[in-house]
Amino acid sequence: MSASYVLPDKPLVVIERSAAWASMNFRGLWAYRELFYFLMWRDLKVRYRQTVLGATWAILQPLLTMLIFTYFFGRLVKVPSDGIPYPIFAYAGLVTWSFFSSAVSLGSNSLLANSGVIAKVYFPRIIIPAATVSATLVDFGITLVLLAPLMLYYGYALSWSFVLLPFFIVLTALFALAVGMLISAFAVRYRDALYATPFLIQIWFFMSPVIYPSSLVPPSHRWLMELNPLTGIIEGFRAVLFGRPLNWSPVLFSVAFPMVLLIYAAHRFRKAERTFAEFI
Amino acid sequence: MRRPIVRVQGLTKQFIHTTRDKEFVHTARGGAFGPSDTLKEALSHAARAPLRRFRGARPAGTVAALTDVCFEVEPGEILGIIGPNGAGKSTLLKILARILEPTSGRAELYGRVASLLEIGTGFHPDLTGRENIYLNGAILGMKRREINNRFDEIVAFAEVDRFLDTPVKRYSSGMFVRLAFAVAAHLDHEVLILDEVLAVGDLRFQEKCIGKFDEITKSGRTILFVSHSLASVTQLCGNAILLMGGEIQRRGPAAEVVDYYRMVSGSELARA
Repeated sequence: MSASYVLPDKPLVVIERSAAWASMNFRGLWAYRELFYFLMWRDLKVRYRQTVLGATWAILQPLLTMLIFTYFFGRLVKVPSDGIPYPIFAYAGLVTWSFFSSAVSLGSNSLLANSGVIAKVYFPRIIIPAATVSATLVDFGITLVLLAPLMLYYGYALSWSFVLLPFFIVLTALFALAVGMLISAFAVRYRDALYATPFLIQIWFFMSPVIYPSSLVPPSHRWLMELNPLTGIIEGFRAVLFGRPLNWSPVLFSVAFPMVLLIYAAHRFRKAERTFAEFI
Repeated sequence: MRRPIVRVQGLTKQFIHTTRDKEFVHTARGGAFGPSDTLKEALSHAARAPLRRFRGARPAGTVAALTDVCFEVEPGEILGIIGPNGAGKSTLLKILARILEPTSGRAELYGRVASLLEIGTGFHPDLTGRENIYLNGAILGMKRREINNRFDEIVAFAEVDRFLDTPVKRYSSGMFVRLAFAVAAHLDHEVLILDEVLAVGDLRFQEKCIGKFDEITKSGRTILFVSHSLASVTQLCGNAILLMGGEIQRRGPAAEVVDYYRMVSGSELARA
């Protein structure tokens, strides 16, 4: 910069106490998009550095889980799987679940993990959980690589309905982001949230139709399962993959609830953001 | 007087400190949860709220970190900010860096502000020098294009070319600090806020740093410089403000403010 810098008429930034209602500041987010990219890139680089297996770790987790569950639940307990071969039924559920649970675990810890930069530099803090969830999305992409050969092996062909898959993926990501944002903002002030999260995720696993179909649950109780947005998402994901009819009402709920939660989470996060640096 | 590039009006920052936990100082926003550390304490604090009213409990103490601070900085000015510990200098910088919110008052920034409250912010030990340059640069507010353009200069300044692709956890502390400083020294923002990040490393590198600092000041950039080194402030700054107890006690030419500070503190150490 040289002396030729021209002062703008209006200030670039005005610093004052925020109004009670927190605006979303989309323009600010766009201005910091490069930082978002860098934080995501950093998460990915660091994750597999100094490992021998590298990115294959991303596949191993759902794969091994699938093998174990296939033995215990597919063979021994003989859980029904809507007529789909159990291994691939489970894998499709596990892949989505792995993504959601990692995104929520990492996302809910993301602010605390980045306490250094939060205390020293300004940027819209929402970038942090967003970058963490996006990095996990890349891992998810890697797990999908195994899905294609598995589908072919079991005789399922690609179909035009696959165009709906990204929709479910993005929906899961947004839902995980909303949950992650709420927990991480809460955890900045009350560390209890960190201890509760792994427990919450464990319970959530059993409440979602990951390794069993929702048809296993008697119709009178099924509405309880459908209150969980993951039910609509996972069943929808499987329906599209295996060419089954889509059950619209749980899917619609799984769109509406996460969206509302996301808006609420963004608002609460923006409000809490103002004092992160004081508590972190 | 020319139009300012930074204008601060009536900036006030108050922290609440709880009677329960004296070290815990923060801003009360009147949210659902009182000033507590764990959820249990928050819930019990809330549960006892009606009782507190009956017992006429003491309000928590308030720490007035800054009170009605007003000043303006002209473009190209180098303003020193001095004062004893606890005077509010860091709080002021953090507010201008948008890390804390003021309780009341306003600051207007007419240029891009880079705040260097520490060097090496965001450095990750597992990443290489090259990767950390990009990461740190991005965190400090540089665009990728800017970092690309200045990459070679940064590496040359830090003198780490041979180790660019080694993880920084393997760097000596000197190398680490040189790299961090090198990135910070190549920021392009119109206003720089420096919190005593001057002259790090060994003697030779310190001279490089001072040279770079000279270059920056002569480039016409605006600098807000917080330091305890009164000699540096007198030497480098045009004007200065003295903060004591959260208020500006004196402002004017640096030498004058420094002398006033020395006189007011009256201690041996002030002659540093």
